[in-house]
Amino acid sequence: MASSEPAVRVHEVSRRFGYRWVVRNVSMDVASGEAVMLVGGNGAGKTTLLRVMAGLLKAHKGRIDYRGMVGMVAHHTMMYDALTARENLVFFGRLHGLRDDGRADRLLERLGLGHVSGERIATFSRGMLQRLAIARALLHEPDVLLLDEPLTGLDDAASQIVLAVIAELKARGAALLIATHQLIELTSVTARVGYMVSGRLAALEPLPGPDAGAIVSRYRELVASGV
Amino acid sequence: MVSSSLFGTALAVARKDLRVEWRTKTAFISSLVFAVLVLAVLYFARDKTSVGDYDLAPGALWVTFTFAGMLGLNRAFLLERENHALDGLRLTPISPTALFLGKIAGNLVFLGVVELVSLPLFILFYDVPIWRQLPTLMAVVALATIGYVAVGTLLSAMVVRTRFSEVMLPVLLLPFLVPPIVSAVQLTWRILALRPLSEMTGWLSLLAAFDIIFFTLSLLLFEAILVE
Amino acid sequence: MGIALVGLAGIYVRALMFTPIERTQGPAQKIFYVHAPVAWAALLAFSVCGLLSLLYLVMRDRKFDLMAAASAEVGTALAVVMLTTGPLWGKPIWGTWWTWDARLTSTLFTFLLFVGYLVLRNALTDFEMRARFSAVLGVMALVLVPFIHVTVYWFRTLHPDPVVLKPDAPSLPSVMLVTLLSSFAVCTVLYIGLVMQRYALAVLQDVREEEAAGGIS
Repeated sequence: MASSEPAVRVHEVSRRFGYRWVVRNVSMDVASGEAVMLVGGNGAGKTTLLRVMAGLLKAHKGRIDYRGMVGMVAHHTMMYDALTARENLVFFGRLHGLRDDGRADRLLERLGLGHVSGERIATFSRGMLQRLAIARALLHEPDVLLLDEPLTGLDDAASQIVLAVIAELKARGAALLIATHQLIELTSVTARVGYMVSGRLAALEPLPGPDAGAIVSRYRELVASGV
Repeated sequence: MVSSSLFGTALAVARKDLRVEWRTKTAFISSLVFAVLVLAVLYFARDKTSVGDYDLAPGALWVTFTFAGMLGLNRAFLLERENHALDGLRLTPISPTALFLGKIAGNLVFLGVVELVSLPLFILFYDVPIWRQLPTLMAVVALATIGYVAVGTLLSAMVVRTRFSEVMLPVLLLPFLVPPIVSAVQLTWRILALRPLSEMTGWLSLLAAFDIIFFTLSLLLFEAILVE
Repeated sequence: MGIALVGLAGIYVRALMFTPIERTQGPAQKIFYVHAPVAWAALLAFSVCGLLSLLYLVMRDRKFDLMAAASAEVGTALAVVMLTTGPLWGKPIWGTWWTWDARLTSTLFTFLLFVGYLVLRNALTDFEMRARFSAVLGVMALVLVPFIHVTVYWFRTLHPDPVVLKPDAPSLPSVMLVTLLSSFAVCTVLYIGLVMQRYALAVLQDVREEEAAGGIS
């Protein structure tokens, strides 16, 4: 499935906040049609790495090469509470230079939000907001999609929708990087795991097994070895 | 092509801001009520036997606009802080210039409406029947507001990233308001006193120079605030 | 720094002991030997801060940010001296502690502007963001100061006309002039000395924080 040409190549990237280096010398490739899972404890630098890759933060060292466009889903919706779901999508679509041609409605439908597209998102549940955030990230059909905890706070039904969308994007040739704590759900769609330990990418290797336990023990092993 | 999309995007940002404002109306109504209150309070904050309406009016008008505007300016970037919407904007290919122009346009409309509503109240409260001079006065209001909003938008984009942003904005912004507000008060005073235009050219050119220089400067410096 | 302090003491002695008392203003005029040079140094400090801010925005080198901050801090301290000695002189000469004279008013606003600058620095924790934001404010302030000056100057001004940089011969007797000019020189050296000290301290703090945080690897 994965083509040999990487869709995104991270080259010795480091980023600091104040004096503290939060991401240290991270290098990785993600190929088109591939999904990589990024695991690590709180404060390991997953979110910062994704934000640097998305261009929201400057890399203080190193560089990132892309083929195509980037999209991101973060902890926050990045949208306006006072606007409806549809208005938010149309607005962000407009900033991507897109016409209001029904794309927003199709995405809302696909993510199971068609029936609430005319409601202000202030009334939305966590799960609905998360799906809407994914819709926003998909507006411009990115070739690289960065997902930060996409399943957190979602119930089973919502998770299934999101996982189906992820599988679909992969099939369409997008490169995905998914930072997560929901290991089991994502083993079905990912082939490789990146382990982040205090800002460093300690290892990036094939999924050790279909169950979450193997990932956890591999992670503990890396933490203990103090790479 | 490039310029049309620049202004198109800026317009989209401004329309979004105004739509959000229209839905909630909190800042707008607060600013307006605040303006009316300040106008009323200042009317009583003097000895009516020694300070006439005409002496008090210009200062009162501009103190009112200054502080009412401050409420609106704070709102503009707080809106982008909520849910980290600013990150959402920065994930799109929107240029800092377009974003800044959009924000300025939104703020101009916001403050413009507050001013338009409070101006007739001012004329009534202070019994200054200057309906004939109203276009001149409005031109001065527009000139002063442009400089005010340009600097205010830039500074509010900075202070929302700090703690205590509501306190910080007035502290940083007020020194910058000395030239436009003093000029505007001087001009308003002359307009109310029916002075000839020749007496106003000095202050008018100061106001215009301030607008041009600070609008350009703010536009140039905005990018340095946006990138993280 | 040491030279500046010795020079400062020298100036005091010269101003108090060896410079004649001005006829119309009396002993109070001697405050002038502190006030005017300090005012000059404060203005210099703020201008330097603005220029360094501009340099930072162009070069993005943290050195400039730290220097700009040092200059603003020293300038604010000097401005406090200026704003205290001014009224002390004004009371006997003008008969009032404070007037809304143009130069007084514009220095007050400039002072408040830079207090704002320091407040902003204090409110930001990430040093990179602090450097960028305060540089933006520093550049804005640099452009604003002349505007403020013109604005308040168009209100009538009470300040004594410039007495040194007049096109014709200076109107001060040469003894006083020497005292005044050497005081200007000393205050300039004092300013430079203080900024260098403050900057050196900032660099040391920076190095220590950097070591405490550990490097990339």
